[in-house]
Amino acid sequence: MTIVAGCDVGSLTSKAVIMQNNRIIGSSIIKSKPRPGDSAEAAFAEALAAAGLAAEQMAYCIGTGYGREKINFVDEVVSEITCHGKGARWMLPTAETVIDIGGQDCKTMKIDKNGNVGRFSANDKCASGTGRFLEVMAKVLNIGIHELGGLSQKARNPVTLASTCTVWAQADIIKFINSGVPLEDIGAGINSAMAARVAILVNAVKPEGDIFMTGGVAKNIGVVATLEKLIGKRIKRARKADPQIAGALGAALIAMEKTS
Amino acid sequence: MQVFHDAATQVQCQSIMDWKQSGRPVVGYTCSYTPGEIFHAADILPVRLRGIETDGMEVGDTYFGPFICSFPKCILQLAGKGKFSFLDGAIITPGCDGMRRLDECWRKAGEDFKGIVPDYFYYFDVPHKSEDHGMSWYMDEINALIEGVERHFQVNITMDKISAAICEFNKGRRLLAEIEDLRAKDDVVVSGTDVFAATVAGTVMPREEYTEALTAWVAELKKQITSLSRGKKRVLLIGSVSDEIDLFQLIEDTGKAIIVGENLCFGIRYEGCEIPETGDPLSALASHYLGSSVCPRMYGKYKERLQLLKDRINHSKAEGVIMQNIRFCDLHGAENALFKRDLEAMGIPCLRVEREYGPHIDAGRMKLRINAFLERIDARKNPQRRRA
Repeated sequence: MTIVAGCDVGSLTSKAVIMQNNRIIGSSIIKSKPRPGDSAEAAFAEALAAAGLAAEQMAYCIGTGYGREKINFVDEVVSEITCHGKGARWMLPTAETVIDIGGQDCKTMKIDKNGNVGRFSANDKCASGTGRFLEVMAKVLNIGIHELGGLSQKARNPVTLASTCTVWAQADIIKFINSGVPLEDIGAGINSAMAARVAILVNAVKPEGDIFMTGGVAKNIGVVATLEKLIGKRIKRARKADPQIAGALGAALIAMEKTS
Repeated sequence: MQVFHDAATQVQCQSIMDWKQSGRPVVGYTCSYTPGEIFHAADILPVRLRGIETDGMEVGDTYFGPFICSFPKCILQLAGKGKFSFLDGAIITPGCDGMRRLDECWRKAGEDFKGIVPDYFYYFDVPHKSEDHGMSWYMDEINALIEGVERHFQVNITMDKISAAICEFNKGRRLLAEIEDLRAKDDVVVSGTDVFAATVAGTVMPREEYTEALTAWVAELKKQITSLSRGKKRVLLIGSVSDEIDLFQLIEDTGKAIIVGENLCFGIRYEGCEIPETGDPLSALASHYLGSSVCPRMYGKYKERLQLLKDRINHSKAEGVIMQNIRFCDLHGAENALFKRDLEAMGIPCLRVEREYGPHIDAGRMKLRINAFLERIDARKNPQRRRA
């Protein structure tokens, strides 16, 4: 059976997926290194090890993500917007609207039944509404980024950030910490600010049908729950795989199409 | 072709410098509403002012502030750095509010940077409507401009000279229209980047020299048989003012697209349309420069502009439209949203991107969106190849 791979080099994390017969047989998520080529090699090696395979056994490999042009071992590169559409449809076969929050950008897209992207909208040149925003805020709170989502559920009086600008919001948070505001309330405020920013993009593509979220932020329940309230629709959860690997998965799916 | 690329990518290009060397004046202008024929008739070289080659924004930001389109700011930046020292005059028009403000910002900057304001510095007003009263106002402005040029440069601009200038400019316009027909063929033999460079060159080069070079190039193109469009998506580029060859290269360097047409202020939308050579030359100029304007600054003409866009899409067989607007360009930002709504409803894929002008273009972010857009067109063309 043909084995293919997809590699997604993002600004914060790099992911790789190995697929055979439409099934994921190996995957990885690593923290991105300064050089995109090094990130790709490391993520690919880890996914290969998980699958117990060697690079030579790959029939086709597609690269994606901001560092896609620097991956040496791929046969072709495809934009991450296209890959996330494909990956999302595989994870949720009824998905029609996809929200992808990556490390340094945020995209929303409409997809057809084949996972092909139709209309899409992306944030413009600002860290607000991206994974980087959450990373910076978690650092200020001195917690892990994965802990941020849970704070929303414990919050009693969530704070409101005066600005969604990453720099100004940081200053706001320091002020709240110094005023003795509980960590949960600050965390919930951060998640809400993030969701409010993303909601603007989501509404821009007029979400329809089942909505699915990809990227690392899809695992932040605080952001997802607030976003659901703001757009007035439920966002379906990923069950078949980690939503963070959707880009690499989509790349592998396109690689599979190329070999079929 | 090289002469066009040189003229399109250098503010102080050789053609302008040669003209200057001959002792004849050069007048810069900021907007497509300025009839270049008037200056040509006075043996003055009209040069459209541009913002390329800026490597900072300290002058532009100081006088304009941060929340405004970067195109007029780049012009002011270059002026402040002495890049326009070859100018004997400058014409500022209210193409948009940013451009209108260039008049006062340039004058104010001139108080701090001595010698950057040319001796002849003229505000050429342009109405926002082209109905009778607007046309009559615009005619008054043209007459006042002619009088001002005659007085300042001690020249005599006769109607015969203006008619001759119209004929000379029309030669280039006809040649550009021929190129448009070449681009409409199934096999396109010329890149969008080259065509745009040739079009932009026409806004700065002496007209006779331009006509000669363009004649030779078009003859060369007609002999070309190698198709540059096979396997590529045919794209139309529209939106905010652009004279950036880099922007065209960014799209065509993806290897997935060829730009088969544009509707840009520096592009063929004005440079490719002829002006009647008979009758009153001033009325002909006014009808062309104001009456045929398809700029979103003109009131009540959205339907005409949409129709023009549809015609261009049909003529060039474009498969998708890339709509760009410079940050804070409300005119094109708003219009692009309407175009996208109406064209998508007709099944034409559109991409809207907001960006900074020229050297401040954020190539990585733009490339991601452009690549995804081209993949979207590809998926529409080959849906069976992309099954999940």
